[in-house]
Amino acid sequence: MSEVASFFRGTWTIALYTWREGMRKKIIVAFLILSILSIVGSFFLTAFLSQTTGSGMEVDMQAKQIKDIGVAVISIFGVLITIFISASVVPNEVENKVVYTVLSKPVRRFQYLLGKFTGAQLIIILNLVIMGGLFFIAVYMKENIMPTLLLWSVLLTYFEFLIVSAFTFALSCAATSAVLPTIGGLFIYVTGNLTEYLKDVSERAGQTELWLDKMTGQISKALFYILPNLQNFSLRHQIIHLAPNDPPRDILLPNLIVYGLSFALAGYLISYVVFFRKEL
Amino acid sequence: MKNLPRTLAAVGFAIAVLLGAWQGARVRHLRESERFYRWILAQATRSKLFAGDIDESDQQRLDVALYEEIAQTAEPALPDVAVGDDDVDAAGKPFSKLTLAARDDQYSSLVFELASGNLLAEQRQKFLQYSKEKKISSVGSELDPNTMYAEGANVSLGNIFFGLRQVAANFVWLRVDKYWHQGMEQRMIPLMRLCTSLDPTFVDAFLLGAWHLSYNMTAKMPDTPEPLKEWNEKYQARIGDKELYYYIAIDFLKDGIKKNPRNYKLYFDLGYAIYNIKMHDYENAVTYLKEAVRYPHEVWVPRMLNISLEEGGWYEKALTGWQEFLKRNPGNLTAPRFIVRNKARIKEKQASEAAQRAKAAEDPAVAKAEKAEAEKLRDEAIKIYESMNEGGEDPFAVARIMKIKAERLIENGLYLEAAALLQNARWKSPDSWDEFTDMMIQAKIDGGVPLDLSEKKYVLRKEEAQKYNQAANKQKPAPVQ
Repeated sequence: MSEVASFFRGTWTIALYTWREGMRKKIIVAFLILSILSIVGSFFLTAFLSQTTGSGMEVDMQAKQIKDIGVAVISIFGVLITIFISASVVPNEVENKVVYTVLSKPVRRFQYLLGKFTGAQLIIILNLVIMGGLFFIAVYMKENIMPTLLLWSVLLTYFEFLIVSAFTFALSCAATSAVLPTIGGLFIYVTGNLTEYLKDVSERAGQTELWLDKMTGQISKALFYILPNLQNFSLRHQIIHLAPNDPPRDILLPNLIVYGLSFALAGYLISYVVFFRKEL
Repeated sequence: MKNLPRTLAAVGFAIAVLLGAWQGARVRHLRESERFYRWILAQATRSKLFAGDIDESDQQRLDVALYEEIAQTAEPALPDVAVGDDDVDAAGKPFSKLTLAARDDQYSSLVFELASGNLLAEQRQKFLQYSKEKKISSVGSELDPNTMYAEGANVSLGNIFFGLRQVAANFVWLRVDKYWHQGMEQRMIPLMRLCTSLDPTFVDAFLLGAWHLSYNMTAKMPDTPEPLKEWNEKYQARIGDKELYYYIAIDFLKDGIKKNPRNYKLYFDLGYAIYNIKMHDYENAVTYLKEAVRYPHEVWVPRMLNISLEEGGWYEKALTGWQEFLKRNPGNLTAPRFIVRNKARIKEKQASEAAQRAKAAEDPAVAKAEKAEAEKLRDEAIKIYESMNEGGEDPFAVARIMKIKAERLIENGLYLEAAALLQNARWKSPDSWDEFTDMMIQAKIDGGVPLDLSEKKYVLRKEEAQKYNQAANKQKPAPVQ
């Protein structure tokens, strides 16, 4: 029992250390400040947009624009923070040779990796909470009602980031510097949003009798089914404008969370296999 | 043994990927079902409200056929839904259970269960196939402005903008706003369409777009003279440039309704701002306002429905509407006044009918009795109108009393006096301007009183419009039995 407790205590210590170190990174703070400025700026950008239609009904464009800009800002800066953090937590320690000191202590590689990954997630969550909280306040100030659907939107955003984070983390475990995993992370995010193209390719392939054409179709189809499709999380944009009673949303939400967790686990396990083989 | 953790991790990885792929398939199924569900909701609204709209495209035909197939298949799985007075088609047949259920929020879960379940699996596949082939409308977004609803390819705008198309739509709207303030209205139209293509849930863009089209673009345009109007096959009406903008605005709002069938604002603006205020088409106004009150709405929506009912001459329905409104909103200051007003208008209407019957009656005894009945009803109406003046002069009530007195003068052959009274009444209550003008001119004609220049012009225009409308009616296809 004490061994299990000690395992988790050690992991938690590494996670906290990673979190403290990560929050000191200037680039993360810069992204956070930029995102906050963008959310606040959306108020000024959309001011004076309210108009009254022919029926005398007041149409408040500002609330919608603040919501859309808020979700977009959280997505853009959130994913940048996710990629930079996930790509750098392990390579930086390898570069600084801190990892050798840590692993020379009674700390298992699995424990070290779990601590690092958890620490990275703590940073991502904290940033999301700050951005989401500000966004929540902005919308509340505008509409005077609790925008609870925003919380679901932010939660979905996190599970999208979790997938990106896990695979970027796996890349970072194979790299010696943070540059390559950062580029790789951006690539994962972009391609993850374009997975639907694979379905298109698979449907268009096979029009000729060439084996290469057929094979391309088969490979595209297999990849389409296996690779994570980040477009599924586009519900986070839709969600803020949907009616309170919307059955598809209510059913999709838990399914997307399970989807995010499954691929995040896959990404994390790759990182473990890679890190296990690493000569340290 | 040394490799065991690695092997376990590899096995775990394979399981996690398989789990992700399996869950991905489920999410994909749910998202397809969601598209199908939203299309059913839109189609249910279309089948009820836009069934008469002319759309020659193949898309429309496939939409209708597929929806009918779905409605038939789903029929046994749906409970009996209450059928209201308005829930019947042009032939008097009640709408399908699916149409009724899809328009009622309490059946949303059931409709989604059907859309994602096995019963409609075949139709769902057809829907997806037709969507891909652009043979059917959808409620998604599309770059191609000719197929605004179709999500033809798997790669939609969503993929191009990484889900940020709503933001893109907002920025395009900022440009629309800029053009509006610069007075460049014509440049706004394509951009407004682009906005709603990018974000079909952008209800505000539909509302303000329709407002720009029907109010601001036409603000400086004179009404098109009747000879210059042309028969429009699509809208089945004779229209000029100005009126065309109204119809474009109607199309724009209908497009918004197809994509957001449960938003009351779109129905409200279509019914009140355009059909009522701009086109004085009270039948359509009431149709859409009734639809607006079906969904969660603001307190003033049923008020405008009741006002439209009164303006359309359905005083009994307006009275019932106001009484129900007052029950739901006790203490409301407007409702009591309108209740009294509609009671008086019912009496007025009954008096007019009795007077007509008296005029048509061949038996002098019947004519006398009908005339007495009309007089009695007029007295009752005047009494009600006078009660409206108790708290201070009510111009509407004063004008109506003058109108009733004018009717009496006309019946007694005092045409000039009646015309003078009506002339005065017009200025008391501009809401009834057209009604009083028609009556005044008729009184002058009947009494041999010469018309002034503007009145002659008014009569000529009316006759001209009547002539053209008769010719236009001949062009209309015979109603389907």
